[in-house]
Amino acid sequence: MGEQKERRHRILMVSDFFYPNFGGVENHIYYLSQCLLKLGHKVVVVTHAYGNRSGVRYMTGGLKVYYLPWKPFLMQNTLPTFYGTLPIIRTILIREKISLVHGHQAFSTLCHEALMHARTMGYKVVFTDHSLYGFADVGSIHMNKVLQFTLSDVNQTICVSHTSKENTVLRSGLPPEKVFVIPNAVDTAMFKPAAKRPRGNEIVIVVISRLVYRKGADLLVEVIPEVCRLYPYVRFIIGGDGPKRVRLEEMREKHFLQDRVEMLGAVPHAQVRSVLISGHIFLNSSLTEAFCIAILEAASCGLLTVSTRVGGVPEVLPDDIIVLAKPDPSHMVQAIKKAISILPMIDPQVMHNRMKELYDWHDVAKRTEIVYDCALNCANQSLLQRLSRYLSCGAWAGKLFCFVMIIDLLLWHLLQLWQPAEDIEEVPDFTLPCDEG
Amino acid sequence: MDTEISEKTSGTRPKWRKVAYGGMQLGFDDNHTDESFLEDMVMNANVVKRNMLKVMQDSVSISQYLCIVALVGLVWTYTLRSVLDENSLLLLDVGLLGLGFAVLSLTGEMISLKLLLHYLLNISFFTTGLYILAPVYHTLTRSISSDSIWVVTVLLLLLHLFLHDYSGSTVRAPGALQNPTLTSCISLNASIVASVFIASRLPSRLHVFAIMLFSLQVFLFAPLVTYCIKKYSSCLHLCLSFCLMTVTLGFVYSLHRLLFVTLLGLLVFVNVVCPYWLIRIQEYKFEINGPWDEAKLCFDITD
Repeated sequence: MGEQKERRHRILMVSDFFYPNFGGVENHIYYLSQCLLKLGHKVVVVTHAYGNRSGVRYMTGGLKVYYLPWKPFLMQNTLPTFYGTLPIIRTILIREKISLVHGHQAFSTLCHEALMHARTMGYKVVFTDHSLYGFADVGSIHMNKVLQFTLSDVNQTICVSHTSKENTVLRSGLPPEKVFVIPNAVDTAMFKPAAKRPRGNEIVIVVISRLVYRKGADLLVEVIPEVCRLYPYVRFIIGGDGPKRVRLEEMREKHFLQDRVEMLGAVPHAQVRSVLISGHIFLNSSLTEAFCIAILEAASCGLLTVSTRVGGVPEVLPDDIIVLAKPDPSHMVQAIKKAISILPMIDPQVMHNRMKELYDWHDVAKRTEIVYDCALNCANQSLLQRLSRYLSCGAWAGKLFCFVMIIDLLLWHLLQLWQPAEDIEEVPDFTLPCDEG
Repeated sequence: MDTEISEKTSGTRPKWRKVAYGGMQLGFDDNHTDESFLEDMVMNANVVKRNMLKVMQDSVSISQYLCIVALVGLVWTYTLRSVLDENSLLLLDVGLLGLGFAVLSLTGEMISLKLLLHYLLNISFFTTGLYILAPVYHTLTRSISSDSIWVVTVLLLLLHLFLHDYSGSTVRAPGALQNPTLTSCISLNASIVASVFIASRLPSRLHVFAIMLFSLQVFLFAPLVTYCIKKYSSCLHLCLSFCLMTVTLGFVYSLHRLLFVTLLGLLVFVNVVCPYWLIRIQEYKFEINGPWDEAKLCFDITD
């Protein structure tokens, strides 16, 4: 019992993306935090305010969430003010007696700023990257430079797939031994297959995704009419909304598929399961994916998956429960044909049980715990050692980053004089009644 | 150390697989880096290896256009100083028109009689329109002082040179590669406005008409003519460019020494220094492609 108390970490999860938003990063943070709480650690989440939802909230299991009073300004990101978040992050770190800061998603400005401040104040830092980025366009080049800045001083890094690890190592110049691969998982208790398969001799193909260019909505526009022409007993259900919805509606009108293609609009997360279990095959047409949780949810509900062979998707499922195709309409139609032919051999309950063994959030939490132990065992580095790491980022960028960090250090010392750590009340530890005994 | 241990237990430990399912792989840490790490990465797949001589040859088209614009500027200066009178200008216009048609017909653009008549009809409309509008241009900038006009004209010409599409697709030549881009349209407009400003400073309406006709002929049709010559024979293109450069340098030398030095320096920079610089920095090109790239759609999206 005493040993467990010593091993107990106090983790701060930081990201711009959290509940009430729904998505891959949000789900990851939530489920990981819940499983870490069950393992006995303390977890606190920091994110920006969502509408009126500002201040401190408690979620299931005693998960404390700080909704900082910052409004998002672009694509759910807070305005990057470099030093504006220093006072409040410092207060939270001291109040909650945090030992380790875990940031999520390279695209989150709050994450980068919090990691920078945490390093200045001497805390250990872990970063998880959830997306793939390119190298060639202007936005990616700047994003990669910012990532290089943050990752040059991070203790450990986690990626969600092996392809994502290769991508992150190339973008940031980290040594590969510092990057751990811990995939996402799926809540198999929530995504159970239907008790009975949908009746009838028609085959239903389900698509649930945001209807944007990146998720391959244009491929759907080419594939659906062709499949409907070749197989008269196939129906489509499309859930989700986005800018490309208009193109899909037009396709529906042009080929007279109103009774064969059903468009549901945006599907709330709680109803995703009921949409999935009404189908036999799940179609994913993304053009890029680091790790696709939607495929896991579909497989957990007993659907056979057809997907494009992009990014980390080939690593996600074993070859017998997924059919991969090149992101080309004719190849995808062939893949759907193959899926229809192997469909009778698929048993949803067997697939669901298999998914329970392959993916488990508790396993993810245990592996993350190993990364935390590793990070906390890293040696403390002096200021000069850290600054020399920043200098190696580039001829001009290195000096700029050093300058930014020195200013951050000076501001931190100023804050220590103005608002001493002794004046900040620390939150007492408490355990919920269900945790005792 | 890791490889020694793996050799001892290689019989019992399963091989590492690049998969994400199944939890932690037996015998391997999560940060294990296999030999197959980054084996799908492709470097510099689409990079064109450049040859110094070819780049210098290609840069000749840029300096050719620079000389053409310099000659236009010369004609403007001589007209403003009343060295060239309106009759010689009109002769110059007709001469240029005839020369342009001759080049187009000789370099293989099959001009049938019907097409020729169509072109002549368009040109007569154009010329008549210019003649009618000449009085308007004549008094356009009467209230603006001369030095503002010179400054604005120079700036507009610089803008025109900077944004010009040197691959020759501003005026859609038959067989040109792409549609005109936004910047090429802006550069064309800048040159036309510069010509209007200069024309408005001239003494009589006939002057205005002649200089407008000359400027518009050159700015609108010179890219097309040079493109046709280049397509027909690169040797002819090179000879023409060198002749043009020497003629321009000769005239500018007789006009003003400093301008001559500037033009010479610019031509050397464009033809010699820039190709060398390009070849030097090509060594640093590092293009990375791999399975993490966003897939490109192989069909066009027609909205």
